[in-house]
Amino acid sequence: MRLRSLVHLATLNLRSDARGTVVNTAAACVGAAALVFFVALGMGVGQAARLMFPGDARLVEVVPGAVSLGAALGGGALDDAAVGRLRELPGVEGAWRRLSLRVPIAASRAPEGVRMNWPVGFTVQVPVVGVDAGLVASDLAPGGKFVDPPAGQAIPVLASRRLLEVYNKTIAPAWNLRRLPPGLDLVGLQIPVQVGFSIIPLKTEDKVYDARLALAGLSDRVPLYSLAVPVETVRRLHVEYGKADAGYSSVVLEVGRPDDVPAVASAVRRMGFAVDEGERAIAERVGLAITVTAGALALLALLMTALAALAIAQSLSASVRGRTRDIAILQSLGATAGDVRALVLAEAGLVGLAGGVVGVGIAWAAARGVDAAAIGLLPDFPFRPTTFFLFPPWIFALGVGVSAAAALLGALAPAALAARVDPARAIS
Amino acid sequence: MIALRHITKRFRDGERQVEVLRDLELTVPRGTFTAVVGASGSGKSTLLYVAGALDADYDGEAVVAGKDLKALSARERAAFRNASVGFVFQSFNLLPALPAVENTMLPGLFVPPGSKAPSLGQLRGRALEALDRVGLADKAARLPGRLSGGERQRVAIARALLSRPAVLLADEPTGNLDAVSGEAVIQLFSAMVRDGVTVLVVTHEERVSAAAGQVLHLEEGRLR
Ligand SMILES: Nc1ncnc2c1ncn2[C@@H]1O[C@H](COP(=O)(O)OP(=O)(O)O)[C@@H](O)[C@H]1O
Ligand SMILES: [Mg+2]
Repeated sequence: MRLRSLVHLATLNLRSDARGTVVNTAAACVGAAALVFFVALGMGVGQAARLMFPGDARLVEVVPGAVSLGAALGGGALDDAAVGRLRELPGVEGAWRRLSLRVPIAASRAPEGVRMNWPVGFTVQVPVVGVDAGLVASDLAPGGKFVDPPAGQAIPVLASRRLLEVYNKTIAPAWNLRRLPPGLDLVGLQIPVQVGFSIIPLKTEDKVYDARLALAGLSDRVPLYSLAVPVETVRRLHVEYGKADAGYSSVVLEVGRPDDVPAVASAVRRMGFAVDEGERAIAERVGLAITVTAGALALLALLMTALAALAIAQSLSASVRGRTRDIAILQSLGATAGDVRALVLAEAGLVGLAGGVVGVGIAWAAARGVDAAAIGLLPDFPFRPTTFFLFPPWIFALGVGVSAAAALLGALAPAALAARVDPARAIS
Repeated sequence: MIALRHITKRFRDGERQVEVLRDLELTVPRGTFTAVVGASGSGKSTLLYVAGALDADYDGEAVVAGKDLKALSARERAAFRNASVGFVFQSFNLLPALPAVENTMLPGLFVPPGSKAPSLGQLRGRALEALDRVGLADKAARLPGRLSGGERQRVAIARALLSRPAVLLADEPTGNLDAVSGEAVIQLFSAMVRDGVTVLVVTHEERVSAAAGQVLHLEEGRLR
């Protein structure tokens, strides 16, 4: 039997049993809608979470080991020799130093060129960390340089990309300050600061002078509440203010493949250093929680699809039993057992396809509805996504495919039942 | 032509075996009209299903339209029914959900792979032609439920004619019809015989046998 004939006859049969067709299509559509909705939700929330917690699975943050133990083993301090050894570890592609500035820096005026209602007499302490340029190279604005500048010139700084979002969504509204424009528009912004000044009088150094920081870019590799400057700048200031450098605050290792991270981490621990799981652990835990939740919901949806397949199997079996005479008539006209089986499968397949298309449409509409409701109901929070759903093209194929496959699966037994009809018995 | 040799058909009825056809012999020459008359339950339908390759479970030899039916696989039997046999039944056996023209088109949908299949449009054209030949061109769009008994049987005949079969097998074709409609059906059979079709009708009605060239009686599993 040709496909064209098969579809023709299957369509006629479906049309003649409009009620059964609608019920079966509805069953197929519920499963497909739930599956697509939950998978899209899982991916959408996952993406939002990655924006919120941009943990880089390939970074390992090495911090000095426990002091006493480190001293006893002659290790512990993260000096240049240690950085060299860390860089040589198998699997490590880069080792980037971080050094916290121990000279206070404070800002008491608004950045130049930004119309901001900076409160009078308001001074913010600016935590500064020195980092290797290599760590943040990809986050620099085009043409930007991240090196210690000659005396008198503005010091390049990188801010946390998330700090801007947090500032705009929570700090600015709460303190009634103006919001800042998006990322790249801020690059080049000059912030006047006082080097050596602390809002805690005891900590203010003897020497205080004016300097400027120039924003060179935004980076996820900069700690949330600090500004990053070139590590050489920090060392220069430490020398200037007579602060001893016992070693770096931390060293960030970039590992070639995420799978190698555990091996690198244990090698680091064997060297007498510790690994700060901090951000990456959070990101991993959040990612895992989302994957597990989305997986459970998708599983539930698959279960619904399986139930739909059972419902279709049930109703198709009843329909086949009620049609044994019609089947025998088709056999008398030349239908083979295979034709009869194919006909039942085609009917189910068409129902599954139709249910899948409708289900995907419902899922998409429901997602739009949830997004619209969320915009109305949820307050503006940092990294609030514009949508909680992600609909890559393949998700539509998934919905329709799973629905059709489930319907076909449900039709297997009824189709076999139909193919077993004995025309000589059933026709009279 | 139809040639049945030493046909024996048994049904298992619980423990008992019932022999419905007993060493039956039948020859229907090509392009002739044969009627088999017998009481209800005498095995007429059984005989027809053997000749039409709907039943393959019997002893003996059946050669119909040049095919040795015993030698055919299930798939080949289906192809044989599709190409060489037209069936007409007492209860019409139309699909109630399909309009007359769709019912008439059905055999064309099961043309086996390998032979040339008509397009749906061509098939519809041929079905309308066949309906025209039985005088129902104007009722092609009607569902069987909205046709009279005589009209339904003529749709069934149009459907049987669609594939231009060599053999027409009819089981009590006038059993549910009034005298006038029954006469029209018999007229159609006679016309088909003139076109070279081999017609075998089983019936318990004498009025059908009046039109047949050969009338045989089925009694105790044998023809005489
Ligand atoms: N599938 C079957 N199983 C058992 N007995 C059957 C079956 N089909 C027919 N019979 C028996 O075979 C006999 C002949 O049946 P059938 O050929 O239908 O007679 P007719 O068409 O002449 O009325 C009847 O006694 C009937 O009960
Ligand atoms: Mg009978």
